Amino acid sequence: MVALARQTLIHEWRRFLPAIIAVGFAGLLQLLQTALVLGIFSSASLYITGSTADLWVGYPGTQSVNLGRPIDAGVEMRLRMDPDVLKVEPFRWVDADWRGARDTGGVSVFVSGIDAGPQGLMFARVLPTALRVRLNEPGAVIVDRADLGSLGVNLGEAATINGHRVRVVGITSGLRALGGVNVLASLATARQLDTTATADRITYLVAKIRDPSQADAVAARLGGASAFGNYAVWTAEHFTHRSQTYWMFDTGAGAGVLFLAAIVFLVGAVITSQTLVAAVVGSIREYATLNALGVGVAALRKVVMEQAFWVGALGLLGSTVLACLFFVLAHYYNVPVALSPGAALACLLLSMTLALVSGLAAIRTLRHADPTSLLR
Amino acid sequence: MNHLSTTTAFTLHASGISKSFTCGRVTTPVLHDISLAIRPGELTLIAGPSGCGKSTLLAILSGLQRPDQGRVTALGQDLETLDTRALERFRLQHTGFVFQGFNLFPALTALQQVELPLSYLGLTTQDVRRRATQALEEVGLGPRMKLRPAELSGGEKQRVAIARAVAKEPQLLFADEPTSALDAANGQVVIDILHRIARERGTTVLCVSHDPRLVSHTDRVLAIEDGRIISDYPPHLRPVSATGSQEHSV
Repeated sequence: MVALARQTLIHEWRRFLPAIIAVGFAGLLQLLQTALVLGIFSSASLYITGSTADLWVGYPGTQSVNLGRPIDAGVEMRLRMDPDVLKVEPFRWVDADWRGARDTGGVSVFVSGIDAGPQGLMFARVLPTALRVRLNEPGAVIVDRADLGSLGVNLGEAATINGHRVRVVGITSGLRALGGVNVLASLATARQLDTTATADRITYLVAKIRDPSQADAVAARLGGASAFGNYAVWTAEHFTHRSQTYWMFDTGAGAGVLFLAAIVFLVGAVITSQTLVAAVVGSIREYATLNALGVGVAALRKVVMEQAFWVGALGLLGSTVLACLFFVLAHYYNVPVALSPGAALACLLLSMTLALVSGLAAIRTLRHADPTSLLR
Repeated sequence: MNHLSTTTAFTLHASGISKSFTCGRVTTPVLHDISLAIRPGELTLIAGPSGCGKSTLLAILSGLQRPDQGRVTALGQDLETLDTRALERFRLQHTGFVFQGFNLFPALTALQQVELPLSYLGLTTQDVRRRATQALEEVGLGPRMKLRPAELSGGEKQRVAIARAVAKEPQLLFADEPTSALDAANGQVVIDILHRIARERGTTVLCVSHDPRLVSHTDRVLAIEDGRIISDYPPHLRPVSATGSQEHSV
C-alpha cells in the first residue's frame, strides 16, 4: 500500500506545519494548564499528602483542610482505645497574621501546629527529622524557601505572629500554600499563637493504623460513635479528594480551567481544520482522478483522516518535549506543578481528538473531488 | 450509424443520450439524442470545437455523469442500474482515465503514482509492484520510475498518468484532451501509446480532443458539433477537413 498520507505530509511539510504547531500548542497549553492547576490545588491538600497519617478526624462536614473547626480533644482517647490504631497525633490549624523582620505589612499565614517528636506523622514526607526536632524550641517556626521574600525574614531571624515573637529555625521546600503562607510550629508554639485556643479543643486528630488497607473500615467504625460530641473520620485519601474537589469546583477555578480548555480546543481545531482543508483543496484534482479510477470516496476519506492523525501525533510529540522542558524549569523556580499519568494522557487524548475532529471537518471538502470537474 | 455494423462485438453502447445543464433559470441543452457504439481494439476519437459537448459525452459514456435521457451500456452492464458505490467499483475494475492535466501527487514517485490505484484492487504487494513496473516500462519510463513529478517533463508526466490508468488492465480507457498540454512531439508519443494499447491489448480507447493532429493516428473519428454527431468515419477514408459535413462516410 502506497503511504499517500505520510508521503504527502513529509513532502509538503510546510503546508502542514501550521496544523502541527496548532495541535502542538493546544497540547502544550492543556498540559501546562492541567499541571499548574493540579500543582496549585494539590497544595490545598499538602497537609494530608505530606503526612503519613492514615486517618483524619475533624469537624463534621469540613470541606477542605483549611476550613477546619475545633473538635473535642477527648476524641483522642476514643481513637487510642481502638485496637487498630497505632498512633494518634493532634494537629492545630491557626489562621494568623505575620509581621516580618523587614517591613512587609501584615501577611496572612497558616500556622500548622504539629507534633515535633522525631516520629511525628504530620509533614513527615516533606520535613526532615533533624529539622522537625528544632521546632521543640519555644517560638521556633519553619517556612518554605520560596516564601522568604514575602515573609521578609531569613534563617535565624525573628518575626511576630499574632503579636507573639517567633524565630525562623529552619527552611525547607514543598510547603507552598494556596491563598497564604504555611508556617510550621510545634503544638505548644501554635497554641500560644492561637488567641482563641483552649486546651480541650483541637482542629484535627490524625492517626496511623495497623493495616492501612483497612483504612475505610476503621474510619467507618470510629466515625459511628458520638460519645465525645461532633466529629467525623475520613481516610487520608478521602480527605485529600474532598479538599481538592472543594478548590477545583466549589471555588469556580475548575470552571475557569474547563472554559480555557474549551477555548484552546476551539482555536486549535479551527487552525488545524483550515490547514487540512487547504491540503485537501491543494490535491483535489489528484483525489478526483483517483475517484475516476474507481478509488472510493471512503478510501479518500481515510487518507485525510490518516493525515489528521499524523498531524496530531507530530504535534503531540512536540508538545510533550516542550512540556517536559517547562516542567524542569518550573521545578527549578519552585512553581508547583503536578501531572499524573492519567491527567497527561487525558490532555494528549484531547489534543488528538482535536486533530481528528479537524480531519472530519476537512473530509467535507472531498465532495469537491468530482471527476467530472476534470473534464471541463 | 450503419458504419458500426461489423462482426466485432461492441463494448460501449449509447442510445438516445440527451443532457442539458441548468444555471439559474437558463437551461442549456448540451447533447441531443446521441446514439453510438464503440468497438474494442480501436482508438476512437471524439473531435469537435470546444463547447460542443464532447467532454460531457465522455463523462456520460464513462459513467462519471448520468444522462437526462437515454441509456449507456458498458461491457454489457447498464450503467443506469448502478448506484454510486457500484459505479466506483465498476470503474475500479474496468475503466482507466487520462486527463488533460496530469493530476499526479507531488509527493509520490512515478512508480508510487501507478501503484496507488492498483493497491485498491486487492492484489498482493508483489503483483502491484510488477504491474506498475510493467506499465511504466510500456510507456518508456522504466529508467525514470523513481522520480517525482517535479523532476519529469510534461510528456513524461502524461505517460505516468497513462501508465497509472492502464496498469489496472482496464477494458475501457477514456482520455480527455490528453495532448493539449503537450508539444507536437510529445503529443504524438502519447497518442501513439494510446493507439498501441488499443491494438495490443484490445482495449476500447475513447479519446476526446479538438487537436486536429491526432486524427491521422486514430482508427475512427466521431465529429461532434452543437451536441450532435455530424460525422463518423475512419480517418484513412476521409480527410481531416470533414468536420461540418452531415454525410456518413461508409
